[in-house]
Amino acid sequence: MARRVVITACSAITPIGRTRAEIIRHLVEGISGVKPLRNDDLLTEHIHSGVYGTVDYPIDYDFKRSHSKTMGPVSFYACQVAKETLAASGLDPAFITSGRLGVAFGSTHGSPSVQRNIYKTFFSESKQQFASIGAVDYLKSMVHTTAVNITKMFGITGRVISSSTACTTSSQSIGFGYESVKYGMQDAMLCGGADEYDTTTVAVFDNLLACSSEFNATPHLTPRPFDVRRDGLVVGEGAGALLLEEYEHAKNRGAGILGEIIGFSCNNNGGDLILPNTRGITATIALALKDADIGPEAVDFISAHATGTKMGDVIEAQATGSIYGKGPLVTGLKSYMGHTMGSCGAIEGIITLYMMAEGFVPPTLNLVEVDGRCAMIRHVQGLEKEPIRIGAVQNFAFGGVNTCFILKNISGR
Amino acid sequence: MRRDAIESAILKIFAEKFEIEAPGVDDDLRDGYEFDSIDAIELLHEIEIMLDTQLTRAEKKNAMEIRTINQIVDYTVALAAARCQTDSAGPECLSTTGQ
Repeated sequence: MARRVVITACSAITPIGRTRAEIIRHLVEGISGVKPLRNDDLLTEHIHSGVYGTVDYPIDYDFKRSHSKTMGPVSFYACQVAKETLAASGLDPAFITSGRLGVAFGSTHGSPSVQRNIYKTFFSESKQQFASIGAVDYLKSMVHTTAVNITKMFGITGRVISSSTACTTSSQSIGFGYESVKYGMQDAMLCGGADEYDTTTVAVFDNLLACSSEFNATPHLTPRPFDVRRDGLVVGEGAGALLLEEYEHAKNRGAGILGEIIGFSCNNNGGDLILPNTRGITATIALALKDADIGPEAVDFISAHATGTKMGDVIEAQATGSIYGKGPLVTGLKSYMGHTMGSCGAIEGIITLYMMAEGFVPPTLNLVEVDGRCAMIRHVQGLEKEPIRIGAVQNFAFGGVNTCFILKNISGR
Repeated sequence: MRRDAIESAILKIFAEKFEIEAPGVDDDLRDGYEFDSIDAIELLHEIEIMLDTQLTRAEKKNAMEIRTINQIVDYTVALAAARCQTDSAGPECLSTTGQ
């Protein structure tokens, strides 16, 4: 049994704003959300990269203590976007707790700031050294902390999937959620990902020489996907949630439909854990098109993973070009907000839905001169007023994990 | 510490740590304030800090059936008294047992 899966609500916390209007304004006006890296008095001064995709606006959390007590910063983000998504969906509370709604939500590594507090106890000279690990610290920092804090807050009793595959975390959430609904295991899935500010994440990429460091004085000029002057990725923070719902269920209750997911793929490069791989990525794209039962000519827009690293962008452009040529418009949305890690797939999916609804495609920010090795695809270098009927969201992660999901605009049908 | 001092210290912990302001001393904390087993573990850690001691596993298990502020205060007074019996009794111990 294969059923149609549609998206009926979404919400995001991003370095370029919270609301649909704010996010669109940043994209249309070319405003970056990359800011100087905040000082944590621990690692910041040892890190070469001095930029960060920053959520620098207040968020009015209104959580009961019985809910918030098991949340680290990452779960605050996750529960906030989940709460807004469920509210926007108009789902009946009885359905939410019925077991027919599941959750697919993850983060890169739970809550690193809480984990750091746990490690501090090992170096403490306090008499209560090990007892000082808080009872809730594990619940705040475990890998599936976002997913289960969401289930607890809303009484969700369906299946729980909590991917933690770095940059493909939330695109896997969406993909596995899509498959759960498509094949009848659930009638709806609340999907997404979140990651919080923490300099340890920056330090990891900085040590691998993957972070941008030449634009510390001008953060808005980096990252620069596909540009000849790109010098690496910019780590960021954020969250995104989407409600996936079986089409007939959504239609019967009169829900607004933001788009349909028509295909998903996930594979592995089967080798190196860091280096991007043309063959693996090409296979991912082909598998997604096959799952969607469409040819490459049907795709109007590609949200490229496009982190701004030297080789990652080249490999992605080559793999994408080998299948699509210069057909669809290609934008690297991380150019506006940096790499929001576990939330990037969800955020980029949500932005693609906004673009579908509004009929525009923003340029890749800071793409001034296309690297000749990335020139085989149709880069967007100025605001395009083009309708998107079908868009593909590509994401690739450390560990050789690749994903692609395909969105279709079914408004007016 | 005297019993009344322990009670006010416990109420202060409830206000600051658990955002539970001035609960009735005989109120069921679980039913009335969603004070659950996770909170109980956190509270035991606060009591360890208050008494500057480490609780044994048996002492912690004994606390799991406690439901009210009065029971928590009784439990804490007993802990303090037990430590006074094993340590050399000083003026603080005398006041703990109310003498």
